[in-house]
Parts: sequence; C-alpha cells; structure tokens
Amino acid sequence: MAFTPPRLLPLPLPPAAAPASTRAVSARHHGGRTAPELSGPTPRVVVVTSGKGGVGKTTTTANLAASLARLGLPAVAVDADAGLRNLDLLLGLENRVHLTAADVLAGDCRLDQALVRHRALQDLHLLCLSKPRSKLPLAFGSKTLTWVADALRRSPNTPAFILIDCPAGVDAGFVTAIAPAEEAVLVTTPDITALRDADRVAGLLECDGIKDIKIIVNRVRPDLVKGEDMMSALDVQEMLGLPLLGVVPEDAEVIRSTNRGVPLVLNDPPTPAGLALDQATWRLVERDVMTAVMVEEQERPKKKGGFFSFFG
Amino acid sequence: MATASVAASLPFCLLLSPRLFRGRRAVRWPRPIRASASSNASDVAGGERKLGALESRVGDLRALVASVPPAVASIQKSISPNFVAGFCVGIAFLAAAARQVIIRSRDHDNRGSVADLVRRGQLKSGQRGTAKLRTYDDPFNNSLVKIDEGTSTAQMFGKEYRLAPVRLTKEQQEMHQKRRSRAYQWKRPTVFLREGDSLPPDVDPDTVRWIPANHPFAAASSEVDEETAKQNVYQKDGVPSRVKAEHEALQARLEASNAVTKLPSDPRSMQHNERPMRSSGKPSENLQSSKFDNQGRQVSIESGKHSSDGSSQSNGPEGQ
Ligand SMILES: Nc1ncnc2c1ncn2[C@@H]1O[C@H](COP(=O)(O)OP(=O)(O)OP(=O)(O)O)[C@@H](O)[C@H]1O
Ligand SMILES: [Mg+2]
Repeated sequence: MAFTPPRLLPLPLPPAAAPASTRAVSARHHGGRTAPELSGPTPRVVVVTSGKGGVGKTTTTANLAASLARLGLPAVAVDADAGLRNLDLLLGLENRVHLTAADVLAGDCRLDQALVRHRALQDLHLLCLSKPRSKLPLAFGSKTLTWVADALRRSPNTPAFILIDCPAGVDAGFVTAIAPAEEAVLVTTPDITALRDADRVAGLLECDGIKDIKIIVNRVRPDLVKGEDMMSALDVQEMLGLPLLGVVPEDAEVIRSTNRGVPLVLNDPPTPAGLALDQATWRLVERDVMTAVMVEEQERPKKKGGFFSFFG
Repeated sequence: MATASVAASLPFCLLLSPRLFRGRRAVRWPRPIRASASSNASDVAGGERKLGALESRVGDLRALVASVPPAVASIQKSISPNFVAGFCVGIAFLAAAARQVIIRSRDHDNRGSVADLVRRGQLKSGQRGTAKLRTYDDPFNNSLVKIDEGTSTAQMFGKEYRLAPVRLTKEQQEMHQKRRSRAYQWKRPTVFLREGDSLPPDVDPDTVRWIPANHPFAAASSEVDEETAKQNVYQKDGVPSRVKAEHEALQARLEASNAVTKLPSDPRSMQHNERPMRSSGKPSENLQSSKFDNQGRQVSIESGKHSSDGSSQSNGPEGQ
C-alpha cells in the first residue's frame, strides 16, 4: 500500500537545518491537527477526470466530496456523466435525484432546488447534469457547468469546493465537465492503457489552460509492485511528469461501500483506501503534494532462531 | 562491550517491568544498532549519544541492583557459585520465554485485521456498515498510521513500508508539459452541433464539436434560448421561469374563459405551491385533448413526484 505522509522529507535533517515545512510536519504529526488549512479563493472548481473508463473517477469524486464535507468544507459534487451517471449511487442519493441541471436550464426549477443535500453530511450536495434517459440541451451543453459554477460562486452560501465527476473519454461530456474547472485531479491506474489516456487528457487540460493537474494513482497492489509485476506510483509519476495527490490501494471495501451507498472515507473503522483518499483530501485542500511514497512492503526480520535468538 | 552490558541488563529489565521494557525496546533498541552500522558521521555521533544514554540507564539499573537490601547480598554470599550459575541460566531462560511471548503477541497485533484493531481498543466495534460518521482523525497521524521520519519507514494498518522520496523535479515537470503541448494541440470546442445539422452562419467551425445523434447531449432542440437558459441557472429565488410562464399562460387562458376566480392569483402563494399549481394547470390545459385521461394521470404523477422532491431537494444551500 502506497500511503505517504504529507510533507515528509526524504531524508532526516538535523534540527538546525530544518526549514519551515519540517515544523509543519512535526506540528501535524505531534500536534494532532484536526483539519487542513484551506488554500486559495473559493469555490475551488476541481474536475476529476481520467480519459480511460472505470479507473475510479466516480469513487474518487464521491470520497473527496464526503471527506471535504466532513471537514466542514461545503462541497458540491457534480455528476457530469450524463449518459452513465452513478455518483448518486456512491453517495446513496439515487432515490432523491428528481431535478437535474437540465431542469434548471429549462426553467422547471431553480439551481438550489436541484441540489440534493446529503442527509448525514450537511455540507455535501449533489447535482446531476441530467436524467439517464433525458437529453441535455445541445446548444449550450458546454456552457451549462460554467454557468452552474458561476451561479454557485455568486450564491450567498458559496461552497468551498465544486467537484466535477467527468465522464470517460474526451468527447462532449469531457468538454462540458472541464469547462468551468481551474484544477484537475487526474485518476489513473498503474497500467499502460490508463496511463496513455491520462497523458492525453493531461495534454488537453493543459491546452485548455488548466495547469494545476495532480494525479491519484488508484488500485495499487503493493505486493505486485514489490514483485515488479506492477508499476509503482513513482513509475506512474515519472511517465506523466505530474505531482502526486494520492496513491490509493486496491481495496475490496471500495465495492462494499459502493453497494452500501456510503463513501469509503466514512467507514468506521477506516480502511486502507479510505485513509488514502482522506489523505488526498487534505493535500487537495492545502494544495499540497506527496513528497514520498510507500512503495514496498518491508521485510519483517522473522527470526526463527528459537528462545535465545535475542542474544545473537 | 556496551552490547554485552545491555544484554546482561535485559533479564533485569524484564523482571522489573515488562511493559517498560517493551516500550524501550520498541523505541530505543533498534537505533544504536542502526547507528553503528551507518557510515554517516552525524549518525555515528547520534548513535554514540544514544549509546551513552543506554549506558547511563544500565548504570541506573546497576545502582538499583546495588541498592537491593543488604539481606539479599548476605544470601548471595551464603549460596554456592553453582547455584548462582543455575539461577542466572534460569533467569535467562525465563527472559527468553517472556520475549517470545511478547513477540508473538506483537505479531498478532501486527496482523492489522479489523478484529485485531477492535480487540486492541483502537477502533470501536459494531459500527461497521452504518452511515454513522466516524469521529475525525488526522489521516496522517492516528492509531493506524505511524510514520517514522528518522528511518524513512511507515507503519500502516500494522504493516511496514519503506518510504521512497518523490524524484520529480520542476524541470522534469516542465519538460513533460512541453512534450504534451507539442503532442496534443487542442482547442476546447464551445459549440455542440448534431452531426448532419448545418453550420449556423455566425459560428466558427473550429469551435464546433459534432455530436452523434445517439449522444446524451443530442436533444432534438432546446425549448429555451441561451440567454433564458443562463438566466434560469442564475435565478436565486422566486418561481422558475417556465413554471411562471406556464402559469401566466394558463391564467390568460382562464381569464379568457372567465374562470379566473377558480385559481389563486397571489404570486406569494404561487411561490409556495409552484408544483401543485403546475399539476393543477396541466390537466386543464389538456382538457380538449382526446388523450386526457392517460396524459392527465401521467402529468399528475410526474408533478406529484416533482412536488415531493421539490421539498426534499429545495433545502439546498440557498434553499433554507
Ligand atoms: N481502489 C479500488 N479498489 C478496488 N476497487 C476499486 C477501487 N477503485 C475503484 N474500484 C472499482 O472500480 C470500478 C469503477 O470505479 P468508478 O465507477 O469509480 O470508475 P469511473 O472512472 O468513474 O468509471 P466510469 O468511467 O465508468 O465513470 C468500481 O466497481 C469500483 O468499485
Ligand atoms: Mg464514473
């Protein structure tokens, strides 16, 4: 499992030479911080994208949003996957989505009426772009979310974060999803197909002026990484040349949480993937990146020497 | 020399306070070994400092032993050297056994399964699978995550990991960006048009994204123009525009048929009953339609649903 501390320094520095960030580390590790510091003006509009399908965009969006809301940072999760929406399922809100952005555009309801509030997390709202079988007005499709983000910015209760769950591919859905974004979270799995798509998407985002792109490497199996059967998060980073926001291990609890409609970060007790997503949320809030990655399982010195082994 | 004295002191440590010993071993014991194996000068210095600290602790222990009541000393004098040797071996044996027990229990702890965590009291049991919010923990520093900055190792869920520093530099990052900007030259389309439709005169073909007819965005045509749609999104309060327009149209029609008195015309009440208004409006709108029953029922079901979710959804950020 490839978790890392936030600003961990690669090598221990003598205390005299420790820069400010070391103090931050010790503050975090010994001072018991309870919340990250929000960096930058709000709302921060972040698109979660990947290019390739099924790598974990929706899982990431749901968990980042839930984690933010639990930290008391109001978040609006936008499901921009008009054709195959499932963010509502992951958040357990599927029975409560009756009004969508399409209804707002048509003048059937106001934007605030189309936001679905999570029952347990008061700071979490969901907005779906359209109903599965209804179609979104074509003519201003790409502007819809720009208006939405702008309207939320002007609303009296501006959210701290607008997280947009981007559909797979780079077609109209992608164009719509990235239009209002200022930052991007690029989700990828450590395999070559996902990486090629991720690189392409990063290129398109950069062409569009979104330069703040961070990667989340999802579904990492440390045992395979150690056996060199899987790329490590560092290999992924080397290929994409982008800062790391998080490394999320493969975790069977992801599916269980999907089935329960409760984002993994809310699991009690915490799970490895949930904790990794929680860490990614803190970094996102603080505009922090990973400085070290846990790449490989340490060989535990297993002494089979019997009773007197401690003398040796 | 120092190692020998530490080893000698171990049984006493164990006998005196197994918990204390366990704590010390976990925290201090590996460091001198690491330090002595290191070639780094500062590490060696640190190691010597730690060795010094260890020796002083050993000294403490000796003082402790020396301060044992004189009766013990006199007993020691009166017993044979053989017995002393046997006693020492016995103590060593006990110490080894105790150590094994400790190691086993720690291994057990380190398996990191949820049941283990619950048993150790690090987690509350019985809340798995509920939507109850977990009390907040710093995700970088809690009972499951221990990061040892000194040794570049981390413990997570009872497993140990090596920390590898991120190697990406700013220059490399910029290089990748340049590579991509050469490889993917792209301009975000701003207009979507359905494949087969003709290009409107005022639209730059470079900004168009052509969309296949089966795409979820490919609606036949939108009933509202862009400016209205935008205003709809920006609308903060009041009756949504189409609902209002429908209501006004209905009222006009009713006025024409001299039936105004049957509907409330107060805009305030309309605001609160926007959905029922619509449902009551639709069927009468379709009065002339031959499909009145079917459509009327459909519409009222739809509207009923809308009115209920209107209330459940309307408690949005601006909705309270
Ligand atoms: N860390 C993980 N461990 C195990 N399973 C995972 C993990 N992340 C995602 N999954 C599983 O992968 C599948 C796809 O995840 P998800 O729906 O989040 O991907 P997506 O990128 O949103 O897909 P799409 O492109 O279809 O929108 C889901 O079944 C999910 O449970
Ligand atoms: Mg998805």
